[in-house]
Amino acid sequence: MTSLIAERRFREIVPPLLDDAYTLAKWLSQSPTDAEDIVQDAALRALSALATVSVDRPKPWFLAIVRNAAMTFMARNRRKTLAYAGDMADLDALDARRDDAAPNPEQELIAMQDGERVRQAIASLPSPFLETLVMRDVNGLSYREIAEATETPVGTVMSRLARARAMLARMLRSEP
Amino acid sequence: MTDRDPDERRLKLNAALDGELDPMASVAFEREMRDDPALAAEHRRLSALRDAVRRHAPREAAPQALRDRIAALAPAPSPQAAAPAATAVPLPRRTWLDARALALAASLGILGFAVGAGLMSLRAPSGAGGVAQSLVSDFARAAIAGQPFDVASSDRHTVKPWLADRTTVSASIVDLAADGFPLAGGRIAVVGRVPAPTLVYRHNEHLVAVTELPLDMKGAGAAGGIETIDGYHVARWTDANLAFIAVSDMDEKALAEFVAAFRHEGRQPAKEGR
Repeated sequence: MTSLIAERRFREIVPPLLDDAYTLAKWLSQSPTDAEDIVQDAALRALSALATVSVDRPKPWFLAIVRNAAMTFMARNRRKTLAYAGDMADLDALDARRDDAAPNPEQELIAMQDGERVRQAIASLPSPFLETLVMRDVNGLSYREIAEATETPVGTVMSRLARARAMLARMLRSEP
Repeated sequence: MTDRDPDERRLKLNAALDGELDPMASVAFEREMRDDPALAAEHRRLSALRDAVRRHAPREAAPQALRDRIAALAPAPSPQAAAPAATAVPLPRRTWLDARALALAASLGILGFAVGAGLMSLRAPSGAGGVAQSLVSDFARAAIAGQPFDVASSDRHTVKPWLADRTTVSASIVDLAADGFPLAGGRIAVVGRVPAPTLVYRHNEHLVAVTELPLDMKGAGAAGGIETIDGYHVARWTDANLAFIAVSDMDEKALAEFVAAFRHEGRQPAKEGR
C-alpha cells in the first residue's frame, strides 16, 4: 500500500521546489529532456523516502536527491561524467595561481553582458564547481545547505565556490 | 587584509559576497576594504560576476508536463473529501517522534480517513452496520492522527491491565506474534457510549484493530465473512463470551488469516482471561 501520509508530505514539499530542481538538473545534465527524467526520478525517490524520514529543511534535502539522481542518470547514460575522475587536488592545482595574472576588468565586464558566453562558461565548469555555483547563485542555498546537499564539508564548499568564480572570471576575461 | 594567503583572502571575499560572514567578521572586512582599495576593487569585480551569473542563469520554470507527471505521483484527495479532513484533524507532526509509529500511520491514509470521517456524517449508522461503521471511522481517525493506539506495547501483560482499568469488558488478548501479527498496542473504542477494549496488531506495515464487545450488545452479533466498509476490511465473529469486530487496512486474505489465527489462539487453554 502506498503511504498516503508520504503522499501528503510529498505534495507539501516537492511541487514548490520543482523549478529549483529542474534548473539544477538542467545545469548538471546540460539537457532539458534529461533534466525532466532526472527530476522525475528524484521525485519518485523523494516519495518513497518520505514514508520513513521527516524533513527539516526541504530544499537542501530535495536538491540532494536531485543531484544524486543526476549522478545516477549520467553514469547510466554515459553522458558527461559528473564526478570528477581525478584527484580534487589536481583541479585545485590546475586553477590555483593563474588567477593572479593581471586582470582585465574591461574585457570581463563586456563579456558579462553576453548571456550566452556567461552560460557557456558556467556549463564548462567541472561538475563539483558547477553544482556548487548553481546551488549558491541559482538555487540560493547557503554554504551550510550546499554542504548538506552535496555531502561535503563547508570548507570545501567555500573553496569550490571561490574557485568556480575565479575560473568563470578567467574564462570571461580571455578571448572568446 | 592582514592575511597574506591569497586563498584565504579569496575565501573571505566570497563569504562576504554571499553574506556568510558573521557580524564581527563583516565589520572587520568592511574596515579592511576601506583601507585596501585593491580588495574593494576585487569585491566589486566579484559581485559584478555574481550578478551576471544570476542575471544570465536564472532559475527556470519546470515544464508544465513535468509538473503534471509529478503531481500524478501523489494525487490529492478529491476536494469535497479533503476539505473536512484538512480542517477536522490538523496532523500533529511533531508528535510522531517514533519512526515506527510514523510508518504505521503512513500505511493508512488521508483518503481512508476522508471517506471514513468525511462521509460518515452523510450516513445514518444503525444496528450492526452502524457499529462496524463507527469502528471503521475510529480506525481511520486513530491512524491519521498518528496514534493507532493509546497504549503502545507488544506485551499483553502491559496492555491488558491498561484496558481493564478503562473498560467493563475483560479483554481477551492473544499472542499472535508467531503467526506474523505482533501486538502493537491497545486503545479504547466507544461503541454505543460504552468503552470497548480494542487491540491493535501489526502486520508488516498494516494494522488490524480488534474491538471486543459484550455478546448482548446491539449490533455486536456476528455477520460472518469479511465485508468492506469505506475501503477497509471488516470481519466479525463471536466466541462463548464476546463478540469481535476486526477492522484492517490489510487485504481480505490477510485479514482472514488473522481472524483464523485469533480464533485458534483464543481457544487455547493458555488464553489470557480473568
